[in-house]
Amino acid sequence: MVAFVVVGLFGRRLARLEWGGWVAVALSGAAMVVGVLIGIGEILGPATYVDRRYTWLHLAPSSAYPNGFSLVMGTLVDPISALMLIVVTVVGFLVMLYSIGYMHQDRGLPRYYAELSLFLAAMNGLVLSDNLLEFFLFWELVGVCSYFLIGFYYEKPSAASAAKEAFLVTRVGDVMFLLGIFLFFYEYAAAGPVGSGGWAANGFLFVQNGLPFLQQGPHVATNPTILTVAGIMILGGAAGKSAQFPLHVWLPDAMEGPTTVSALIHAATMVAAGVYLLAVTSLYIGFTATDSLVIVGIGGFTTFFAATMAVVHPDIKRVIAYSTVSQLGYMVLAIGAGFTMVGLFHLFTHAFFKALLFLAAGSVIHAVGTQDLFKMGGLKKAMPLTASAFAIGGLALSGIPPFAGFWSKDDILASVYSTLGSHPDFWPFFLLAFASVFLTAYYIFRVWFLVFSGDAPRDASLPHAHEGPWVMRVPMIVLSAFAVGGGALVFVPGFDRLLLKGSSFAGTLAAGIPPVYTTSDLLLSGGGVALALAGLLVAWWLWGNGRIAPASDSAAVRSVRHLLLERYYFKAGYDWIGAKGIYTAARAADFFDQFVIDGTIHGFERAFAGASNRMRRIQSGVVSDYAAYIVAGLVVVFVLLLLVAPFLVARFGGA
Amino acid sequence: MVPLLSIVLATLLAGTVATFFAGARARWAALATSIVFLVEVGLLFVSYPGWPGYSGSLVPGFAEQESYAWIHIYWMHVNYTVGVDGISLVLILLTAILQLATVVYSWTEGKRPAAYFGLVTLTCLGSFGVFVALDVLLFFLFWEAVLVPMFFLIGYWGGPRRRYAALKFFVYTHVASIVMLVGLLALVFYSGATSFDFASIYAAARGLSPVVQVFLFLPLLFGFLVKFPAVPFHTWLPDAHVEAPTGGSVLLAGLLLKLGGYGLIRWAVEILPEGFSHVRPIVFGLAFLSILWGSVLALSQRDLKRMVAYSSINHMGIVLLAIGLDSSLGLLAAVLLMFAHGIVSALLFMSAGTVHHTFGTRDIPAVGGITPTTPTLSTLMMAGSLASLGLPALIGFPAEFTALVATWDGLGYLVLLPLAVLVVTAGFYLWMMQRMLFGPARGIPAGAHDVPAHEGMAMGLLVAVTVLFGVVPSLLVNVIANSPVKGFPGT
Repeated sequence: MVAFVVVGLFGRRLARLEWGGWVAVALSGAAMVVGVLIGIGEILGPATYVDRRYTWLHLAPSSAYPNGFSLVMGTLVDPISALMLIVVTVVGFLVMLYSIGYMHQDRGLPRYYAELSLFLAAMNGLVLSDNLLEFFLFWELVGVCSYFLIGFYYEKPSAASAAKEAFLVTRVGDVMFLLGIFLFFYEYAAAGPVGSGGWAANGFLFVQNGLPFLQQGPHVATNPTILTVAGIMILGGAAGKSAQFPLHVWLPDAMEGPTTVSALIHAATMVAAGVYLLAVTSLYIGFTATDSLVIVGIGGFTTFFAATMAVVHPDIKRVIAYSTVSQLGYMVLAIGAGFTMVGLFHLFTHAFFKALLFLAAGSVIHAVGTQDLFKMGGLKKAMPLTASAFAIGGLALSGIPPFAGFWSKDDILASVYSTLGSHPDFWPFFLLAFASVFLTAYYIFRVWFLVFSGDAPRDASLPHAHEGPWVMRVPMIVLSAFAVGGGALVFVPGFDRLLLKGSSFAGTLAAGIPPVYTTSDLLLSGGGVALALAGLLVAWWLWGNGRIAPASDSAAVRSVRHLLLERYYFKAGYDWIGAKGIYTAARAADFFDQFVIDGTIHGFERAFAGASNRMRRIQSGVVSDYAAYIVAGLVVVFVLLLLVAPFLVARFGGA
Repeated sequence: MVPLLSIVLATLLAGTVATFFAGARARWAALATSIVFLVEVGLLFVSYPGWPGYSGSLVPGFAEQESYAWIHIYWMHVNYTVGVDGISLVLILLTAILQLATVVYSWTEGKRPAAYFGLVTLTCLGSFGVFVALDVLLFFLFWEAVLVPMFFLIGYWGGPRRRYAALKFFVYTHVASIVMLVGLLALVFYSGATSFDFASIYAAARGLSPVVQVFLFLPLLFGFLVKFPAVPFHTWLPDAHVEAPTGGSVLLAGLLLKLGGYGLIRWAVEILPEGFSHVRPIVFGLAFLSILWGSVLALSQRDLKRMVAYSSINHMGIVLLAIGLDSSLGLLAAVLLMFAHGIVSALLFMSAGTVHHTFGTRDIPAVGGITPTTPTLSTLMMAGSLASLGLPALIGFPAEFTALVATWDGLGYLVLLPLAVLVVTAGFYLWMMQRMLFGPARGIPAGAHDVPAHEGMAMGLLVAVTVLFGVVPSLLVNVIANSPVKGFPGT
């Protein structure tokens, strides 16, 4: 059944006709049905594992792997992959449908649908992977699809550059991820139940005989330093994919791709793969205490850091992109603090409301043909559906009850708060995350007021706006429903079990069961909501009713804004390293290569040839000269043969 | 028993002669030869019994063996001895695939086609011979039989500076050959082997003292390293590639460099394990240098072919590193990498050739945004670049992954260097793609059209091979691991 999903999705690559888009939509619809069925099966039944695998590569025994080394490809359905499967297939289907309306004027549509379909196939493969190497394989494939789709408008230099940047920055993360895999594989190669031949021989599966690797014993003695490094390397991979500090730079630039791509890949699914990687690792392999602190630190800091940059940006999509970075930071924070399922719950709600925000933004861009917030305004009347969809998404993002984001974000804050007693070093990151609630509400409603409030667009030359066709409206309505009710799903008995099963699975992480639903810390929740409302009010006060930016900025405000717009100079710094640093070094190396290494050789050549006229004759191009040269070479061979001849005589003595 | 290897050799010999004399129909003769060759290699694969699956053979562990007295004068016992194991079989498969692809790609070669296709076939004949020879002199004969046709391919069909490049290529490789030959002969005489056969030398060399082994190993190492090529013996390669015709570049990168790797494994590492273990630090040093140097220099190149040439130095550096690890995993990785690099670099050199005759230049900054004009070429270039930078599901990934695992096992944190270089490798390919394939159209002559059908077919074949073995690498791995090499199953 699962294989059908993957094969069916690949089949879509064949669809290259006018109606190819509809074929893609239909097939992703089928994938959604299968995905949701698997999810429901997982909710209703006991934890089941569809597990078919074949040996992809078997490496011979070596000193490090005395029982050999098997790499397998298989599928694993467990609570967390079921949860991700629902997200990927549902959002995938809705975005495909939306694309029919949004992309209809573009060239290269077969390419678009083929790449998007390949992406969905690879993403499903990633979610269903049953070992880290297979995970990495699909991880790279979704990365390359993202590369293609960011560069979809490849004639635009900025798009081509952004695609390259995305690939390279995530590549840095991938290299760390790969090292992390090596370290885990090496350290745990012999681990596992007695008589099983060790983890290496069994294909490094996450789950064997119904038990996660973490709980399989007895483990052989391991080196905690190497495991810590491995965990941090895995975090590096996740930071590259999920755009966490300091590898965050690529995601805002990735907005060069079509908005549909931003919604699916750069908001709901692929960027969440990094978080999913952390979740899988924490559940099945485990992080050390040091790793946890680093993960909490990166997550908490990124949450705040990205939110500040979202506050000033004039581009509607980039604000939402920074918001994605910030929200992914919340998830990383939760997983680092040990609340894997809480982090995944936020991933679930975030996927829907963030896809909704992007699709609503796409609807606006489709209507007015610009992404500049300061040209828009007053679109509420012409696009009431989009305006309310964006508002619902904004409320969910800000964490205003009863919208979806409230439940998951509040859950994260409460969970992390509950650990502060035992982990006082989490305090600063908790505070950063808490403060970000205010910024989040402010920046997203700044966008709403700038786009929708007021009477007319600030730039009068904008075309008259109107709502998109039904294929664009329906996905927004469905996603709005999720954004309103998605968080409350946690109270649905079955769904609750999905999260619960996932947490009890890891045994030691059973504490991950959301405490807020049993003994809710009302003060904390209330504080969070108050902060969010305050952010909303400030946004209204500054930008509501179509107000123009306050003109009397002080120098300090201007310089801060400049710093934020320049993204704290991270992008410029990385560009400098790449373009100036490495490239200059490469040019210098080239010079060295041509003039020193090759020059030395030519020096030998001249010395050997003795006279320059001899050189001229060699290069005369007359074939007989070449022939003479070859003959001379052979003569040398024979002379040398004669030189070794004495050895022969000595050796064999004329026998 | 059917003398399968001799039949293949006879096929190639007859094919070469026929091609040279076929005049205008030379390409058909070459095509027929390469197809028959490929079918025969398929038979070899099917009938390969694996190790240890055969008994009573002359050289333990090799399949399809034949041995006939060739030159028996006085004390000299030179035989015609051939045989294959998993390592040579995989490289023979590479030879057959590349011969077919090269012939199809060069289908419209108009400059003395009989000689051109004849030399191409002769090069492949020589490579095949090197991979099957189990006698020192036979090995050397075939080794030289590769150099001479390549010299003429570069020198006659090449670009503007072809004479300089051809001569440089020939002098470099010839000096290396002589040193290697002296090393091989000294090996025979010092060890006191009773014949020139691999088995006899192999057995006799066990008795050599470590010091002698080191001294015998060094000339062999030098001879093979020039062929790799390892930094600092590499400067002939970019020049040779830039000037060589596309078919020549394909065979040069795809086959000639592999001769160095194969020779090092078979005639140096296997025979002189003690000597090898003492010079491993040198091998590692040169391997790391090549990996870094090749990649960084590729970044600075403007000429597409030069860029691919330097990336070859980088990839062959990883091969050298994997061989240097002296572990079964490393050896497996090295052979897998050689196969992968042979296919992928062939694909990239073909795209460079097509770029050159479509746009009149290979200067990367001069041509840009070619995708709307030549979508097929663009797709093929992308496939080649992504395979070369190690994208999973393509052949480069299992090879590189195995090599890195082996490096971690053998050298620990030193694996960080090749890992970090992976980013640079991705960098120069992506930068090239950004400039040449994407962005606004630039430097595209009027009337430029997409890849001609025969070139597209040749490159399509290579892409198919890349995907096939990328998705199912066990097809190759199981054959390679079935070799009579230390540490592999059965030994």
